[in-house]
This record gives sequence, structure tokens and C-alpha cells, in this order.
Amino acid sequence: MKSLFKGAGIVMLAGAFALSGCSGNGNSANNQAGSPDQEANFNKTGLPIVKEAVSLRMVSPKAALAPEFSEMEIFKRLEKDTNVKINWENIPDTDYAEKKNLLLASGDLPDAFYAAGFTDYELINYGKDGTIIPLEDLIDQYAPNLKALLDRRPDIKSSITAPDGHIYGLPSWEENNLGTNPFFHVINKSWLDKLGLKVPQTLDEYTEALLAFKTQDPNGNGKQDEIPLSFMHMQWCMDIAGLFGAFGLPDNLEHRVVRDGKVIFTATQPEYKEALNYFHEKWYKTGLIDPESFTQDAAQYLAKGKTNDETLGSYVWWEVEEVVGTERAKDYVLLSPLKGPNGDQTIGRANGGGPGRGSFVITKENSNPEITMRWIDQQFEPYMAAQIHWGPLDIVYKKDENGKLVNLPLPDGASAGEFRQKVAPGSGAPGIITFDDFGKVVDMEPRAQQRAKDLEQYYNPYMEKENYPNIFFEPEELDKINKIEPELIKYVNTQRGRFIVDGGADAEWDNYLKTLDKMGLKELMEIYQTGLDRYNANLKN
Amino acid sequence: MNSLLKRKSRGDAWFDIINYTMLTIIMLLVLYPLYFVLVASLSDPNYIYSGEVWLFPKGFTLDGYERIFSDSSIWIGYGNSILYATLGTLIGVAVTVFAAYPLARKDLAGKSVIMWFLLVTMFFSGGLIPTYLLIKDLHMLNTIWALVIPGAGGVFNVIIVRTFFQSSIPDEMWEAASIDGCSNTRFFWSIVLPLSKSILAVMVLYHVVGFWNGFFDALIYLNDESKYPLQLVLRNILVQNQVNSGMMIDVESYAAKMRVTELIKYGVIMVSSLPLLILYPFLQKYFVKGVMIGSIKG
Repeated sequence: MKSLFKGAGIVMLAGAFALSGCSGNGNSANNQAGSPDQEANFNKTGLPIVKEAVSLRMVSPKAALAPEFSEMEIFKRLEKDTNVKINWENIPDTDYAEKKNLLLASGDLPDAFYAAGFTDYELINYGKDGTIIPLEDLIDQYAPNLKALLDRRPDIKSSITAPDGHIYGLPSWEENNLGTNPFFHVINKSWLDKLGLKVPQTLDEYTEALLAFKTQDPNGNGKQDEIPLSFMHMQWCMDIAGLFGAFGLPDNLEHRVVRDGKVIFTATQPEYKEALNYFHEKWYKTGLIDPESFTQDAAQYLAKGKTNDETLGSYVWWEVEEVVGTERAKDYVLLSPLKGPNGDQTIGRANGGGPGRGSFVITKENSNPEITMRWIDQQFEPYMAAQIHWGPLDIVYKKDENGKLVNLPLPDGASAGEFRQKVAPGSGAPGIITFDDFGKVVDMEPRAQQRAKDLEQYYNPYMEKENYPNIFFEPEELDKINKIEPELIKYVNTQRGRFIVDGGADAEWDNYLKTLDKMGLKELMEIYQTGLDRYNANLKN
Repeated sequence: MNSLLKRKSRGDAWFDIINYTMLTIIMLLVLYPLYFVLVASLSDPNYIYSGEVWLFPKGFTLDGYERIFSDSSIWIGYGNSILYATLGTLIGVAVTVFAAYPLARKDLAGKSVIMWFLLVTMFFSGGLIPTYLLIKDLHMLNTIWALVIPGAGGVFNVIIVRTFFQSSIPDEMWEAASIDGCSNTRFFWSIVLPLSKSILAVMVLYHVVGFWNGFFDALIYLNDESKYPLQLVLRNILVQNQVNSGMMIDVESYAAKMRVTELIKYGVIMVSSLPLLILYPFLQKYFVKGVMIGSIKG
């Protein structure tokens, strides 16, 4: 019996050695790939990048219904120009995070991750252990487009530079400023007209309008089926966070705003409490808020705008048509921030923004980092960046007489979103389209242009000056944030819902503050303040 | 009904009534979701969300099915799933039965050691990453073998089948057969297998359901979309409608995209569960017998 186990153990060990030996050989063969030949083959400038075709293995997410990247016209053109063949391993974006972690953890590394979506944490940790390589020297030598951009825009350079001074991931950004205020507040103008009300300017006028919607049957079907106000609690672009601004301190999904360089946690401020009391007393108690606002999902929410009889009075969503359909959209108008009881009129600015840092990383398995860097640098040329993000020339764009990319009409029956994700890797891909490029190099999509106009007209005059930028934290700081924040925000959001629905903010306030203290709010805010101070100091350098 | 009630005592009658009521309610609870999916697959999504659909389709539409039947990825997935389920079930049932029969025989040397070895695997596994590396080094990544081979021999199934053999194939039968000159192989094929139809049916059902519903292995091991099984295709369709800040930048039509997704969601559930719904009644008669005998230690 004993000897039998010994035997089995030896067999297993031998097997393990055989296997590891196998994979070891594969790697070293890969790394050695004849270096003198390689040099002769490589062009340091100009196209193609290599004389004889070279293949690179890249892993990238893609939209679930999009074709493999190798079948995308834009990458076929790149391959023809550069002579670099990419063996794509495309993963549907919904599964990408899992599979990326599996590849990294098992050491089964491609040459590069494209549209990589690396978090700061991953950039620093995998950068530290050498899984991904620092890129700044490669950028200096082989990436003229990107280097020129970084020289022109030190803010981009500083925001992609890790706290240890290296650049591990290349950026991705569409600097269109469309995300500054996601909460577009919509009201039913045709009902207001019918009821003889003017478009509300103040919070109290708005409350009056909601009340009239509820009680005076504006859709004229004899039933009290009107929903005065519907939204989705603490969801991007669907929440009433913007309305808190009427009390002087707009909220956002992180409950974190910046004024004069100081980080403020909104959900403990008196303005926030005042707003909650108002919403409960004036709106929820009187039935002006759709009770499903706290539970519904987006599908239910969107269906509410499309019922047989028009039932939606007011809602929050970043595009009018999406909720009520094109037919009814003309009944609805956008509302500027409402003037509050104390005369405050302000709207928040979404946190973050700025370039994504982890859009392209090169791994240690890559034996052709120079070729890879030259290949990816092609995509930092503004025209190419635009095509990578939205779609190629002659399919999505044509060049007008000024050399600007303008949108071609969509093929029949295709929606812009559906079509674009089939012809281009999209917004997560490497490449930067700066604010200056819009209008000079590329036209914004028609709907994005409309959005920009709306922002300009309704919100920009009232917008907060500062926001919390997208800061590259130290791993220890990230650890602490990850430990404290999710629980804390969850608690705050639950309480926010409760205070609006059940009221009692005044009575429970002290208890609420104490719980937040226990959960580490102070420490959290200190980390955010330190990060912001560091960022601001860097900007001055 | 009246005469039926009269022949029974009052208490019995009440017992029956309550019994039938309860069973009817439970039956409805089980059947309704299935029925709802069917109705919803034929309705306009907007009515589903506003809660107006519950007994009959509202805003009747076949758009969902039309889209499903015209989407090649779903059909490729369908074909793959049938292939994996068939192949996987063949391999899985074969391995299980071939492992279980010797273990059921008293004259197998080292039986307890083998059994112990098998049992250990029920409690300890290598974990995801070592398993992934193993599959990779066996060069099974991105092939159908990664899906059908690693999970072929389930120890739990082996135990069920072994117990079934032990309790329903008496040793005397083998003695009698061997006296008549029957070999082990002949005995297994001509006597054991024909007598074990019920447990084979149960095994087939277990494996088919397992392979049909499984998506995780495919998610981990496959890169090539043309090899995806139906559940993975389905999952990709269903998970993709989440609103996030990335959308703001994309300015794409969320509502339109979601409507399509929702339209086909219920239809896809119908289409994907149909094979199992069809298969089950044929195997059901073996089911109780097979599992019961297999799970009671003989």
C-alpha cells in the first residue's frame, strides 16, 4: 500500500516536470526570435514598420455582437500599411474582466492587451512585478505621434504617469466634455401649456407643476394615471442628484464634490439634509414621486415613457427621445437647474473625466516591443484615432474640403450605436481625440453635437467650477479606498432612499453621522484630499 | 364528484379537497413562469415592463422569433450545443459506466484504494488557474475537447451508478452466467447494460442537462466565437444592456439596443429550453426508479 502511493507520487511529479519543461521551452524559443534579422527588418520611421510581415498576439475585448477585429476594415488597412499582422484574441466585453485576470494570473500572456481596460491597481501591481513593461522610453524613441501629444498636453502626460514615475498603460480619451452633467432634467411642456403653467424656474414652481400633473388629469383620459416625477435612484444619468443643487450643494453618484480645492462629502452636509426633507415632505408624501423610482430597472423606466396614454410628467435621462420616443419628444423640454428656497441655482459636475490610463499595455512576453510601439503609435495620429473610436473612412466618415472627417449617412435601418460597434473597436480603444480635434479633424456625431448644445444652453452657466479629477492613486491608498468606500456608499444610498421615502432625516441624523464615522468616512476623505492636493501640486510643476 | 364524496368519510373528503387545491396551486406556481415566458416572447416589450402582460400576449409580435431565426450566431450556438451535449454525454456516460461497473464487483483488486482516490477529487480540486494551465498545456484550449473531456467522469455519478449495479445485479447472476461460459465483457454488454436502462437514462439526462446549461467552461477555454455553445451566445446577448458612464461618450442609442435585446430575450429562452422540455418526458419514466435505487446504499 505504502509503496503504491510512493509510486503514484513519483509518476505525478514526473508528469509535472514534463509539463513545466514543455511550456518553458516554448517561451524561450519565443523570446529569442532571431535578433539580428529582426533589426534589419525593422524600419525606425515611415511605413511599413517592418519589411517582412511580423505577427503579434493581442487580446482585446469587443462588443458582444461585433465581428472579430481581424475582420474589421480599419484593422485590415492598418495591417496593409504597417505590415504588422495582429493575431487577435477577441473576448466579448462582458466576459473580458474574468478572462483577462485568468490570463494574467496563469502567465498565459499575449504580446499586448488592446483596449485593455487595466485599472490603476493592475497597472501598478503588474508593472511592479514585471508582467507589463514600462513604456516611457519606447514612447520617446518610437512613438512620435504620442510623444508630440504628450509634449503639447502635460496634463495628459501627468495623468497617465504612475506614482512611481513610469508609464505602464497608454491612454484613451474623447475629450468632448459631454459627461460634465449626466442628469438631464426633462418636463412635459405640453401638459404645462394645457394647465396654463409656465416652465418652472424655481423649485417651488416645479413642485406646483408636479402637483398639477397629478391632480388635474393633463392627459385627459379621466384616470389619475399620471406619474409626476420618475427617476432611478443613484443611477448614472437617471438620478435626481442634480436637483440637490437647488439647496446650494449638488450631489453626484460618489457624493463627493470639490470647492476651492477642498473635497466635500455631500451626504453629511446640512444642504443635503434640507434637500432630503424637502423631497420627502413636498414630493414623496404627496405622491409626486413614482415609488418605483427606487426599484425599477432601466427597461421598466424606459417603458413608462411609451405607454398608450402619455403618463410621464417629468424625468431624468440624458436624451429625451430615448425615454418617450421621437413622436412624443416634442412635448418635452429640458429644465435648467431650479432656483431653490434660498435662491441657490447650481448643478454638479461629474467627477473623473480625463484620459483612461490602461488602454494599451505591453507584456514581458513581447519580443518586439519597438514594433508594437510603432504600430500602436499609428493610432495616436488624430485622424486614425477618430477612425478607431468611431469608424473608418468611406464607411462611417468622408473627408470634406477642409480635410475634416464628416459623418456619412447611416445604412438603412441601422442605429448609430449598433452600426459603429460593428465597424470599429470603439471608445475603450487607445487613441486621443482632443477638444481641439473636434471640429477640426472630426465632426461630433449629430446627437453628440445636440448634447453639447443642450449643455451649453441649459447647464453650463450654472455648473460647479471644479470636480474631482481622475487621480492615479498609490496602491496602498487604493487598498484603503476599496476597503472603505463600497460599504459606505451603499449605506449612504440606502439611507438616502429611506430619508426620501420614510422621512425622519432630522431625527436620525446624528445616528447616521456616527455610523458613517465608524465606517471610516474621515479616513476616506483624507485620502481623497491628499490625492487632490498631490494632483494640484503636479499641475503647477 | 358527488357520489365520490359520498363514499368517503367527511374527513377524507376534506383531505382530498385540500390536497388537490394545494397541488393545483403548486402546479400553477411551477407552470406559470414557463407560460409567462411563452406569452412574453410573443408580446411587445413595452407592455411587459409596464406589467400589462400576464395571461395573454399583448401587442402580439413575432419580431423576436424572426430576429432569432435570422441571427446566425444563435444557430451556430445551437448546433454547437447539440454537438457538445451529444459528444459530452456519450463520453461522460461511457466513462461513468465503465468506471462504476468494476467498482461494483466484489472481485476487483484494490477497489477501496481506487474508490478513495476518486473520493478525494470530490473534496479537493486544483482550482481554476492550475486547471486552465493544464488544459492549455494539453493543447486543448479553443477546442471542443476542453469542454467535453475534463468533466467527463463525475465521481458523484460513478457512485450512483455503482450502487445501482451493486443492488440490482446480484452476484449469483454473474456466477450463473460464467458457469454457462460467459466472459466478463459479454456479461457486461448482454446482461448488465440491458438491465440498467433506467440508470443509463438518468445518466443521459444528467449529462445532457449539464452540457446544455453549462457556459463557464466555454467562457474560460474558448476564444473562437464560432465554437461558442448556445448558453454563451445567449449570455452575451443578455448581459450587454447596462447603462454606464462609457455610454455617455459613445452617445449610442441605448433604448433601441435594449429593445432588440428584450424582444429576443424570452424567445431565446423558449428556443434554448425546448430540447430539454422535449427530452424530459421520454426519460421521465426511468427517472424515479433510477435515482432511487442508485442513491440507496444496497
